Amino acid sequence: MSREQYQIPTGSQQTFTGGAGNTAATTSREFDTGIMYYTCGDCAARVPLEKGAGIRCQKCGARVLYKERTKRMVQFEAR
Amino acid sequence: MPRKQPTEEELERRKIVGVNAETVTDVTSTDFPGNWPGEDYAWDIKKIIRDTKIEFHQNEPAEASFSLIGVDASIANAFRRIMIADIPTIAIEKVFIDNNTSVIQDEVLAHRLGLIPFTGGREGLDNFMRWLPKPKDNEPIESTYFDYNTISLELRVTCTHNPNAAEDEKDPRKLYNHAHVYAKDIVFMPVGRQVKYFAGENAIRPVNPDILIAKLRPGQQIDLSMIMHKGVGSDHAKFSPVATASYRLLPTITILRPILGRDAENFAKCFPQGVIRLEKVTKAEAAREGSGYEGHASELKAVVVNPMLDTVSRECLRHDEFKEKVKLGRERDHFIFNIESTGQWESDAIFLASIAHLKEKARKLEQQVVDMVR
Repeated sequence: MSREQYQIPTGSQQTFTGGAGNTAATTSREFDTGIMYYTCGDCAARVPLEKGAGIRCQKCGARVLYKERTKRMVQFEAR
Repeated sequence: MPRKQPTEEELERRKIVGVNAETVTDVTSTDFPGNWPGEDYAWDIKKIIRDTKIEFHQNEPAEASFSLIGVDASIANAFRRIMIADIPTIAIEKVFIDNNTSVIQDEVLAHRLGLIPFTGGREGLDNFMRWLPKPKDNEPIESTYFDYNTISLELRVTCTHNPNAAEDEKDPRKLYNHAHVYAKDIVFMPVGRQVKYFAGENAIRPVNPDILIAKLRPGQQIDLSMIMHKGVGSDHAKFSPVATASYRLLPTITILRPILGRDAENFAKCFPQGVIRLEKVTKAEAAREGSGYEGHASELKAVVVNPMLDTVSRECLRHDEFKEKVKLGRERDHFIFNIESTGQWESDAIFLASIAHLKEKARKLEQQVVDMVR
């Protein structure tokens, strides 16, 4: 899978239709509504964040959020 | 010109490596052609068969100890090296991590998994499992994966709170479910004919089920699959079938002049227990002229009973009262092997396999020499 084909693994995947057919206008609109999930540094809750939203946990108000681990498989050599 | 053949005593003396307080003497063997004038040391298979001995001291699945007597150091060392680096075992080679939210990093976790010793049915490991062939240049690696060279394993653990735990519980293993991830949590996923070869008690399993792999806290998860291949220790130490494979030379302790009374007790303390025994000087010994025991009847004397237990600490050489009374040494052709198996092989089977391996290597060399001459 090339980097352009990669879909950000969030709950709102239906808004992404893959890179090739999209015009610049629709892509930017989708980014406006695209939701990313983060993990709260304080209460470990899953925090959905829209673009431009304040970086803040909705549950406890903590301002430290962590990126989630990739959903893709990672391969290692056991050496 | 014919020369006098050496006496038994002389031959024994030539086999001894001298161990002094600060130095070691006569380390090299001298039993090769042309070294001693008039003596024939030509290679003779009958002589080798007659002189070579193997005596087992201990033979358990996990550890074996035996003496290999009458061979050159090069042969003994070849066996040792083959056992460490050339006897194949299976080990985890690739780890596919779907999720790992534990505190232990992916790379470290994969490395730890690789070092876990596994075992399984001997028939399957010896006769069914084969080497993984190298894929052709333009093909993906997994194009050579088959049931006879790849074993699949899975490890999928999620840590959760234990609702039944006591309120003041402090032990994380009771407070949470799956707080500790052990080697026994690894699940064998048989494929194809592996179902037949590794069924029931022959299943691929960790030798030590209680090896701790990682510690988790509620919400953390390890979710991965692994594949194992056959490999040799020269590629990576995880493939080595032995934990230790080592040899030492048999120590010799020669008491030149009698050590008596208080000195004898101190002398015994210079060695590990069981090496020196204190015995009473008999009347017959005391009566014998020139034995050194005259007038010492029923006193204690030091007697060497089991030099094999000695660690050759040379402690007795540090004390003046034993000067000129004792000679330490080692027998150059008596190798005391100690083999500890990691569990995939029986410890004595590793040694037998190393003999077969050396034979095979010699046979290949012979063929190549024949081809070279042709």
